[in-house]
Amino acid sequence: MTNESQVKPHFTTRRGFIAAAGFGVVGLYFLWAGYGAAPLNIFAGSGESQAPAGGGHGGGHGAAAGPSVEEFRSAAESFIESNKLPDGSVMPRRQAMAEATSMEQMDHAAMGHGPQAEAPAAADKAAKAQAPMDHGGTQGGHGETPPAAGATEAHAEAGPTDIYLMAYQWGYQPAVLRLQANVPYRFRMMALDMTHGASLQLGAGSRIIRLRPGALVEQSFTFTRPGEYLLYCTVYCGMGHDRMQGKIIVTANQPQESSHESASAH
Amino acid sequence: MKAPALTEGLRQLPAGDKRLLKVCFGAALIALTLGVLFGAGTAGTRAGFVDSGPLYGYRMMTAHGVSIFFYWLYFAQAGLLLAFGAVFTVPGGHIAWRPLAWTGLATMIAGFVASGYAVIAGLPLLYDAPPELAGVPSPAVAAFYLGYLLLAAGLFCVAVSGVATVLKPRFDHRIASWPVVSFAAVGWAGLLIVSSIAALNAFLPAARWALGLSPMPSDYSVGWHVLFHNMHYLPLMATVIVWYVLVQAVAGVKSVFGAHLSKIAFAIYLIFVPPTSLYHMFLEPNLAEAVRVIGSLLSLFISVPTVTVFLVIVASLEVHARTHGAKGLFGWIGMLPWRNPAMAAMGMAVVNLAIGGAFSFVLIQEKIAPLLSDTFFVPGYFHFLTVGTVTLTFLAALCYVLPGVTGHALWKPGLLTALPYFITAGLLIFGASGVTAGYLGVPRRVLDVAYDGTAPALWGTLMAGIGIGGVIMAAGLLTYLYGLFRTLWPAPAEDVAGMTLPSVAWGDVTPAATRAWAGPLSVLLLVGAMAFFTALAFEMIQALPLQAAGAMGGH
Ligand code: HEM
Ligand SMILES: [Cu+2]
Repeated sequence: MTNESQVKPHFTTRRGFIAAAGFGVVGLYFLWAGYGAAPLNIFAGSGESQAPAGGGHGGGHGAAAGPSVEEFRSAAESFIESNKLPDGSVMPRRQAMAEATSMEQMDHAAMGHGPQAEAPAAADKAAKAQAPMDHGGTQGGHGETPPAAGATEAHAEAGPTDIYLMAYQWGYQPAVLRLQANVPYRFRMMALDMTHGASLQLGAGSRIIRLRPGALVEQSFTFTRPGEYLLYCTVYCGMGHDRMQGKIIVTANQPQESSHESASAH
Repeated sequence: MKAPALTEGLRQLPAGDKRLLKVCFGAALIALTLGVLFGAGTAGTRAGFVDSGPLYGYRMMTAHGVSIFFYWLYFAQAGLLLAFGAVFTVPGGHIAWRPLAWTGLATMIAGFVASGYAVIAGLPLLYDAPPELAGVPSPAVAAFYLGYLLLAAGLFCVAVSGVATVLKPRFDHRIASWPVVSFAAVGWAGLLIVSSIAALNAFLPAARWALGLSPMPSDYSVGWHVLFHNMHYLPLMATVIVWYVLVQAVAGVKSVFGAHLSKIAFAIYLIFVPPTSLYHMFLEPNLAEAVRVIGSLLSLFISVPTVTVFLVIVASLEVHARTHGAKGLFGWIGMLPWRNPAMAAMGMAVVNLAIGGAFSFVLIQEKIAPLLSDTFFVPGYFHFLTVGTVTLTFLAALCYVLPGVTGHALWKPGLLTALPYFITAGLLIFGASGVTAGYLGVPRRVLDVAYDGTAPALWGTLMAGIGIGGVIMAAGLLTYLYGLFRTLWPAPAEDVAGMTLPSVAWGDVTPAATRAWAGPLSVLLLVGAMAFFTALAFEMIQALPLQAAGAMGGH
């Protein structure tokens, strides 16, 4: 041991080391990137992984661009009316209702469009091709774009089945939904009076969803397993909060060869 | 044994300063006592041990959040800021602009009373009290916002007095440069001032609405978020300042890295905290994806100031202990004065910060928000921070500060030394149940999670864990509080002899060739734990029987 090494502090007690180690937690980033939850090259932008694949804007433009509470309520009510079963539950028929502008056309949409399974591969491709430039046009669900001819329209018609869900103090409409496994649905949800949750208890864990009053939230979901799932409110909304619940009953369905969006999820 | 500088400095304060501090800490202890009682009631209700019904149950939850998160933490910070500013800036110092500090304290107490009335008289709004939930203006709702406004106004006055306490000796040329604690206190007071302005911004429009003077504000939640984000980093900054002070008191140790590095570490709180607030909003339906990605990224940096100060403190302690003969990698830890109640509380605070910190970093990843946000994961992990870290640390500080300002010996130091372990045991039950419940989807802020029997049975079991852990924590904290009240109580005579607590005096050393691995190793362990719990969340999301496409968490 030389004299110098006795005077020189060990590297663990140097300022530079301490300052650098202070940033240690930032290393978690690499795990995120490993799960595809963060871009590895931040300067390259977030690229296609962020491209919305359907209803991509999730009410992203807030209440201003979306339907009003009243418009939404009447669309949801006609959805319930035309899909209601005798026991009060709602089972949407499986056809395309993804027309961009036509909340009112819903009644008509119930007839006349082919089943979604007809053009699965094309729809998938269309979704991919279209996603990067989709900025609130047809898919956002609240643009004013008229239905166009061609591939885009074909996609729109073969898109996921629309589900309407209203949340309010203290309940949901429809309160019981009957859906099918492995079929893509586009949930169109709105809290009518104040902030609520519309979360789904899915066995091991949940999918938490927050709804702000008057803001349309759209999310496309495909249930991959049959089961009865609890729908519950996860934002405190007053004294009836605890009883704010619904049910989604998912029944088996013959798998459609790679038709649903999950195929492209990863 | 000589009393540490903190105790000596407090004893030499003018009587008027001491009176002010006693009132301030008295109010803090009352707020904590009430908060703990209501917390135990809330936990018992969630567990089904008591059936309070929604009105009283949610009122208790409101009372818990309001009295503990707003009043306990801010009365305590107000007092500690003034005490540290007066003691550490200049020998024989005192509180500057004391009438202003009194005005501030009185205003804060008025706020406490108004908030109490609001909780008792109105519908339960929980501590964020959104106007849309209140629905219609009423005196009780007005009192809710006015209480918070009074608290903010009072805090503003106290913080200004705190800044003056630190600045005046410098401008009077009584000191050449600020000691680290005074420097940090200015930043701390600055953030308190910013928070009180943020509170004004959040609550004034709502108060006007509740008084019938204007329409319901439409952007309440934005103002709330801005305030709230500040509000929960402030106590954390205060915590590391207290650690910095207490390490000198219990071990006579100052940073081996010089004042400069410590000052920088405290200064970067001001830079790193404000931009990291986005992660509270990941579940907001109208937040652009790019904002989510950037929000996650920025949030990674929020740990930097805390981890840096932690490393400075730990390395300094380790170097000192090694110079005094510590053996092995961790032998030095055993040499710390563990029979000192403040040391025990601080030690547990460090452990709890690591646990709470590991979980909190799961939540800053936006893709995980759809699994865990708004679930019991959130209160499950943050009680490690609010109870286990911040509250224990403030209580540790009071073990020195109360004897200093009252001249009374600390009540049963031996018992107070044991309590942090007991409280942490309860917290581990509470937190483990809560975090597990969160992963499984149990919602926060729901008193009865049975959902007519359709919820998984495990949910109820885990809530029983909340009840059991909660009762243990509450019992420990209430005992601690009793001891501190006894210390504060008027007593016939000063007890100078009984005022020193067990400590070591490791003095000034320079880091020769000593190594100090404990700090970096614990950071490594911390990152490992974060990675584990993050990976668990990702795996669970991927295993859910639901494929989601769309803006939110697109898997
Ligand atoms: C004996 C100690 C404590 C117990 C038993 C306890 C228990 C609880 C329980 C059961 C909840 C309700 C969680 C929910 O349903 O969402 C809660 C919420 C909360 N606690 Fe504690 N707690 C304790 C101490 C503290 C302390 C010391 C603090 C802060 C310094 C604190 C801050 C909070 C906050 C901010 C909330 C959120 C309230 C809300 O969501 O409205 N708690 N606590
Ligand atoms: Cu609700």
